[in-house]
This record gives sequence, structure tokens and C-alpha cells, in this order.
Amino acid sequence: MPSADHDPFEERFAGALRETGTAFATDQQELVARGETRGRRLRLRRRAAVAGGVTAVVLVGLGGALVLPGGQDGGGRHRSVADGPSGRATSAAPGTAAPGSSVSSVSGDELVRTLEKLLPKGHFSDAHGRGTDDSPFAQVVYDDGRGKAAVAVSLNRVPAGSQEAVQTTQCPDKVYIAYDSCTSGKLSDGSALMVLKGYEYPNKRSGTKLWTAELVTPTGEHVSVQEWNAAAEKDAPVTREHPPLSATQLKTLVSAPEWRAAVGAVPVDPRMTAVPSATPTHHGSVPATLARLVPRGLEIVSRSQSDDYEFGYVVVDDGRGASLVQINVQRDMRDVENQLFGAGTRTLPDGTKVVRRKQSGEKGIAGIVMWTVDTIRPDGRRVVISAFNSGAQNTPATRQAPALTMKQLETIATDPKWLKLG
Amino acid sequence: MGPRREDGYDGYPEFAAARAGHLYRSACLLTGGDTHLAEDLVQETLGRVYVRWGRISRVGNPAGYAQTVLTRVFLAHRRRHSSRRERATEVLPDVPGPDAGGDAPLRLTLLEALGRLPAKDRAVVVLRYWEDRSIEETAAVMNTSSAAVRTRCVRALARLRLLLGDALGEYARS
Repeated sequence: MPSADHDPFEERFAGALRETGTAFATDQQELVARGETRGRRLRLRRRAAVAGGVTAVVLVGLGGALVLPGGQDGGGRHRSVADGPSGRATSAAPGTAAPGSSVSSVSGDELVRTLEKLLPKGHFSDAHGRGTDDSPFAQVVYDDGRGKAAVAVSLNRVPAGSQEAVQTTQCPDKVYIAYDSCTSGKLSDGSALMVLKGYEYPNKRSGTKLWTAELVTPTGEHVSVQEWNAAAEKDAPVTREHPPLSATQLKTLVSAPEWRAAVGAVPVDPRMTAVPSATPTHHGSVPATLARLVPRGLEIVSRSQSDDYEFGYVVVDDGRGASLVQINVQRDMRDVENQLFGAGTRTLPDGTKVVRRKQSGEKGIAGIVMWTVDTIRPDGRRVVISAFNSGAQNTPATRQAPALTMKQLETIATDPKWLKLG
Repeated sequence: MGPRREDGYDGYPEFAAARAGHLYRSACLLTGGDTHLAEDLVQETLGRVYVRWGRISRVGNPAGYAQTVLTRVFLAHRRRHSSRRERATEVLPDVPGPDAGGDAPLRLTLLEALGRLPAKDRAVVVLRYWEDRSIEETAAVMNTSSAAVRTRCVRALARLRLLLGDALGEYARS
């Protein structure tokens, strides 16, 4: 199992995923033959491109044109087109590397040396890294004299101005991730920065702390620094109370110009420079609609920030403790209706089917319960809502029962407002 | 082993024959059960591995490399064809028939739920729970930070938990 947390749902899901995946079968011989044919065509195009003296190779696959610089094939490799001396990424001014810039690739060893140079004085061991040709990172075990700690830096690009760029530097919802503090803001050059003091494990197990700093420049260069209070991320004892670098030191490290210059050598996917598409016209998002349907007397403590059109949550408080309420809205689910609406299903006068479920104790968290009302309209629109007796899924129960009754949950799920969405 | 090839692709046919099935199954999960797209993704993946076979076979772990290529080909495809909804409502997953054994309705429900996840969340889930990759390996495959993978994974599981409800009950282990 990937997680040592022994989440029963996680285990059940992994089992079901394995069974589902294993059941797929196809004509492998034909698949192999077609793959090789495609490879031959690809090779011919690459040779033609090289013979033509161009530095960009045009690949046509999956019905769309794909232009990659420097002979990169999308598999993560990159050949520098720079004429300058190879190795050092000095040709790009910090933070100004334009998409497609011809910055020489930077090796993993160089990234490690840069990390060691930028860290305060100390002893280094177990260093390893990977260069800018493929998912660059550098990691060292650093000891400032107060205990060994793993420190890592990774570099990549995100589409400038995209939702992904924004989310990377936005403090996450505490509903999903446990952390002690988080700050986010802008630097003077327009870069967005987030510093988060959190934990390796969602339930803070073993006391391993993970502090991170995420920086995204206005042109989409992404630098991520992580540090632990242990010599390795997992399966290593805690060596000190906190990771070695303070929030200020993390900020200094993540915003060092050396990293931005190195990101300039990361291969560019030209599609990532595309202007993000405008938000579609809508009659409201799921989080906003859910917030409007919360019964009187319940205070909304927090809600999901994104304008999602299928999923949302609110955390409400009736004065007796926080309660997380999640909702999902899906269209045309008639094909799985029989699976979801079996025993215990009621049918309302308008044809809506309703089933209620009370589940307990997931994730080994003390006393937590999840009450769910699942509904499906005659047109196949499914609205499923769940409430917890805690303000988050990863914290112990803070109250006996969720703040909403089953009846209130059903009233929300069957509200006609959901029919007006999308 | 098959006959030796003199064109620099020695070992490629054996590799492709041995891995195509697994790549296809991975692709089926990534696409939420769209088997036609899955075949296309695997062909593209095998094609790219073919082109670089000389280097890949020398470096080692071509299976891992192919899985990385598959994931990136899938994400690139999703970027080109992204829409507000992750799955067009008229497209239903292709589910292996009853002769595949096990619980076909459950597989349909699971694929439906997978198909509702954003593409990157789906890739994280498939890499973590189907490929058994670590957080760091998943981050490397997806060209992102492990913190981002962690967040995506937790969110995806929360969403799957809500979507699947009791459907996975029979997989409970004491």
C-alpha cells in the first residue's frame, strides 16, 4: 500500500482499482504492431526535421499538432539548443527566462551544489538530484548541528496565470490537509509565494513535520522547497523538534535567483503558454449553491474556494462544534442508478430516488461518522451530500452527530436549485 | 527471446509484447474506461519508446519510462481536449464483460467515479494505487512537487469516497 495510514477506504479503493484494471483486455499483438508503426513514422519525421536543419520537431499525434523545442519528444527528455558552454544555467537572467529560451540544461549534481551553497553552514550527506532534462530536483540531508534533516528542491513550470499556478501558492483547505500555519502573498517581482508548516502524514502520525515553500513567477516558473525534521521523508525517526529552516529562511531559499535561472532550462511545452480559457457561463457554482441552501441557525465557518461545477463543501457550526458538509452534483448517472440505489431506496412523488446511509469510522479517526443522502432525479442528475461530526475528515470527532439532520441533508439534496446548474 | 534485430531495436519487440497489456490496462483506468482512447494512448506511448529505444534500453527500467510517457501523453491529451466537464455526459465507460469475472457493476461505478476526477487527480490515483508508485515517484512522473501530489491524492480520495459511497463495501478487510 502506498500509505502507511491504513485508511480502510484507501485499501478498499486500491483493491477495487486493481480488480477493475486487471479485467481490461485487448488484442495486444495489434496494439504492439500499431505502436511500432507509429514509432517508425515518428522516427521518419524526426529525421526529416533534422535533415531540414530545424531545431523544433513537429509531432502529430492524437489528432493534434505538438511542437516541442530542442528535439524533445514529450517523454521528458530535452536536448539543449544553446550554443554556449554546456552545464551552467547562466544565460537567463533570474525570473526572465522566456518560454522556449535556449538555456543550457543543468545537471542534477549542479542543482545539488546550488542547494548546498544556498543553505546555511552545516554538514551535508546523502545528496542526490536529477537535472533539468527530466523532472529536476535536488535533495540533501542537512545537519546544522541540531539534527539531520532532509531538504529538497524541485523545479518545474506551470501555465502562467492558470488555475494551477494560483492553486500552487494558495494555502490549502484545512479540511483536507492538517497544518500549523500557512502564509501566502506576492513578492515585489510579482511572484506568488506560499510557506506552509505542515506534516508528513495527514493525521500527524509519528510527528514528522514537513514544511514547504512554493513559489510561482508571473511567467510560470515553479520552485518548490521542502524540509523535514527527519533525515528522510518516511521511515526515518524524527531527529529534531522542527525542520531546520525558519519560514524566513525558506522564503530566502525558494526565491533565490539561481533556481529561476535553472527553471529556464526546463523544457517548455508551448501549450502551457496558452491563455487560460474563460470560465463558462453558469448559473452558479456548486459551493455557492450549497452555501445558499444551508439551513438558518447554522453559521458557515468556511467553504471551498474554487468555483467547481460538480463538487463543493461548507463547514458549518450550530454553536456545538464544526461539521463538514460535502456535496457532489453529477449529470446523467442513469447507467449506474441500479448500483447506487438498491435496498432502502425511496421514490419521491416527482420520481426522485433517495437513499440514506450512516457510515462510521474511516481513517482510524476516533468517533467520526459520515451521514449521506444520495439522490437521483428522473433525468439522471445525481446529488449526493455527506455530513461529518467534525470540521474535517482528518480530525477526530468534535461532536456526537453532524450538525445537520438526515432530513435537512435530504432537503438540500432535493432542492430544485441543483437542476439550474449547468 | 525472439530473433536478434540488427537495426538497433534489439529487445524492443519483447519489451513491447510484455508491457503492452499492462500499459493498456493503466490507460483504461486513466481514461476512466474509454478503451478507444486507451488504445490510442498506448500506441503513442509505444511509438515514443520505439524512437528512443536505443538509449532507453541502455539506461534501464524501460517499463518505468514507458509508464511515465503514458502518463504524460494522457495529460497532454487532456490539456488539448480539456472541457469544463472531465467526462462528456454522453460517453460511458467501456466495462469488461461478465466473462472478465468479478463484479462488473462495481467496475462501472468505479470507472464512472474515476472519470469524474480532474485528469491530474486521476493520474495521481492511478500511479499511486495501480502502479504502487511513491509520492516522490508520482511527482517526478507528473513533473510536479510532492506536496502537490499529496494534496491531489487526499482530495481525490475524499471525492471518490463521496462518489462511491458503500459501493466498495465488499472490499473491506478486517
